[in-house]
Amino acid sequence: MKDVITRTAPTPPVSDGVPGETPRRAGAAAGRRAGSRSKPAQPIAFLVPAILVMVVFFIVPSVYNLVYAFTDWSSFKSSINPVGLRNFANIFNNGTLLGDLKVNVIYAVLVAIFQNVFGLALALLLEADTKLNRFARTMFFIPVLLSALAVGYIFQALLKPTGTLNTFLSWMTGADVDYAWLNDTTWTLLWLTVIHAWKWMGLAMLIYLAGLKTISADVLEACRLDGASRWQTFRHVKLPFLAPALTFNVATALLGSMNSFDIVQATTGGGPGQTTEILNIFIYRTFGQGLFAQATTMSLVLVIVISLMAFPTIILLRRRERAL
Amino acid sequence: MRDTRKTVIALAAVGLLAAGCSDPGAASSGPQTGAAAAWPQETARLDGVTLTIWAAQNSNTVAKQTAEDFGAKTGAKIDIVTVPDPYEQSVQTKVASGDKPDLAFWQPTASQLTAINAKQNLVSLDGAPFIDAYKPALKDVTGILDGTRYAALVTVPAVEGVWYNKEVFAKDGINATPKNLDEMLAAARAIKGKGGTPFYEMGGEKWATQWWVQVQLADAARKGLWDRVNQGQEKFTDPTILGAIKKYKSLVDEGLFNNNITSATFADQGKALLSGEAAMVIQVNTFFSQLQAQSKTDELNAKIGFFPISPSGNVGTFIPDQSNALIAFKTGDAKRESAAKQFLTYWLGSGYSDFVKTTNTVSIEEGVETPATVPSALQANADSIGDSVGSMQVSAIVNPDLYLNLANMLAGQATPEKVAEATQAQFSQLAQAIGAPGF
Repeated sequence: MKDVITRTAPTPPVSDGVPGETPRRAGAAAGRRAGSRSKPAQPIAFLVPAILVMVVFFIVPSVYNLVYAFTDWSSFKSSINPVGLRNFANIFNNGTLLGDLKVNVIYAVLVAIFQNVFGLALALLLEADTKLNRFARTMFFIPVLLSALAVGYIFQALLKPTGTLNTFLSWMTGADVDYAWLNDTTWTLLWLTVIHAWKWMGLAMLIYLAGLKTISADVLEACRLDGASRWQTFRHVKLPFLAPALTFNVATALLGSMNSFDIVQATTGGGPGQTTEILNIFIYRTFGQGLFAQATTMSLVLVIVISLMAFPTIILLRRRERAL
Repeated sequence: MRDTRKTVIALAAVGLLAAGCSDPGAASSGPQTGAAAAWPQETARLDGVTLTIWAAQNSNTVAKQTAEDFGAKTGAKIDIVTVPDPYEQSVQTKVASGDKPDLAFWQPTASQLTAINAKQNLVSLDGAPFIDAYKPALKDVTGILDGTRYAALVTVPAVEGVWYNKEVFAKDGINATPKNLDEMLAAARAIKGKGGTPFYEMGGEKWATQWWVQVQLADAARKGLWDRVNQGQEKFTDPTILGAIKKYKSLVDEGLFNNNITSATFADQGKALLSGEAAMVIQVNTFFSQLQAQSKTDELNAKIGFFPISPSGNVGTFIPDQSNALIAFKTGDAKRESAAKQFLTYWLGSGYSDFVKTTNTVSIEEGVETPATVPSALQANADSIGDSVGSMQVSAIVNPDLYLNLANMLAGQATPEKVAEATQAQFSQLAQAIGAPGF
């Protein structure tokens, strides 16, 4: 659920980003025409239920996340006392946090790449509205709806040294393949990002498909008449039109996977030798130790890191959209 | 516009106040319901009462039969809920968010009772009728924190020691069980010399990696190692503990362990010892339970033996685990708290002899005979508890993730020095959190 929320939160209005200046100017004009905004269309009291939900489920927990980071909240005693910056000093002196952050950033970048490559490839492949394509789109979307933990456990079984994948590879190659996919200190992180990207590629596909649908048939026909090759059509026509979709997909994949937990927990639990331990697993482990305040501090650090990554990424991609 | 702002501010204030600046796990801090003195009769009627017991994957069958018998006698309904592994973490997380069962399997060591905040969350078991029935050697060995009893021992606390395959020993000419660590290593080298695998370690599932370090520290533990660590006078990075970690690493590097040490699991370990693929395994009692699930007593008696080990001799390191004991929670419901006590009274009272028979385990009570069908290795393990010493979990004030750091070392991601450093850092943090002096 959390994943879904983080994925949908920063939705940029897709239609707004369609290249060409006309719609934007028209929008601005409409804004001016509305002129003085003193009289809204609905009574302001209509906002109360939404604000209430926001306050209880979002603002209060966030405030607590901030407050508890400066206390000694733990499972060991009932009182909670302020301790200043001690938790921050503790976690930064312990090298694990920085190591895990590095793993986390690599994980997020790889997921962003794979998820977009897979998603775009699928969207282009399944662009035409045939019956078969509609069926295939549904099939590729199913992993998005599956529980991430279930996906993790399925892949754990598939990738065991004696699992289905190795059995299949052994049969294909004739040699005895017993590679431990989930126990390689160098490559396991990569396999995990592929699994993560596989799970979410259906969503990226859907958004790219929506982007492709916004391209007017006239434009494509003009391309064909001008004798543009398929590659040229893709490179110079389709890709620029997909810029807003790319912004959304890259941002959500990057930031959503910074928050990842379940797939890694179900497949490797952070192993082998903590080489796949992303920050959320460390937070979970610390919380489980009873060090609630330290865990809260780490999640605060994670929020800050994600924000630091989010703003430049989104600004950069939006600027690129405009340039196209 | 101004009204809106006021509304928002008011709502935010109400929200903050309603949530209250308090620990959600500390809800029932009132006077203890069901005073320590009142212990109910074993078979008083409990119609309409439902008790929940939390258990782990490896302890969810321990109480099954006893719970059914108790239900038949009293009308109470008992739900045994399996909490997923890692059990301790999951339970602590649930309790922290205010979710509590009536009873739970729990490691009865001081460090783990501290971790669950026993004083706040648990019912005192002082004055329970079953305490006097315990064998003297076991009566006060564990389950007590700051002078109050919080855990009821139901089976013999686990002992870390060596489970060995008798057939492999005989085949490779080892006729007597080793008398100390050096003799054991000599035997191991002899087995390796004949092409066998002397030791089998389950680095893939990590948790057992700490036993190798702990058995090497048994003699130091007897001389007060953990007391010094608890006071911050000695550290994991000092020669005693670091030396044990280094020795473990050097034995792995020497090739005395299985080749798949970084990926092998608990189940692999059991299979390897039973099949004779490996000669020895340093493990606790749950390991033997696993073997029992796979084979019959006769086969186990013929194949598997147990001896405790330390650098100086045959001294075991005891570590009661979560399947050995139960704790009762303060739920705020006097009727259920009393029923939970009644269940423990029945289990360790008239229900105990049936319990040791159905689970085929060693009795911890005077006057209740251990069934003759209990495998000899398990009996040897139980016999060793008399002169064994407490493990890190028993004697240290907190329990750092030593096993995890050791598993990292096996995976080639940390040096012994790094393991000691990381463990000490975590130990200090935890000690600081419980407010131990010197941290």
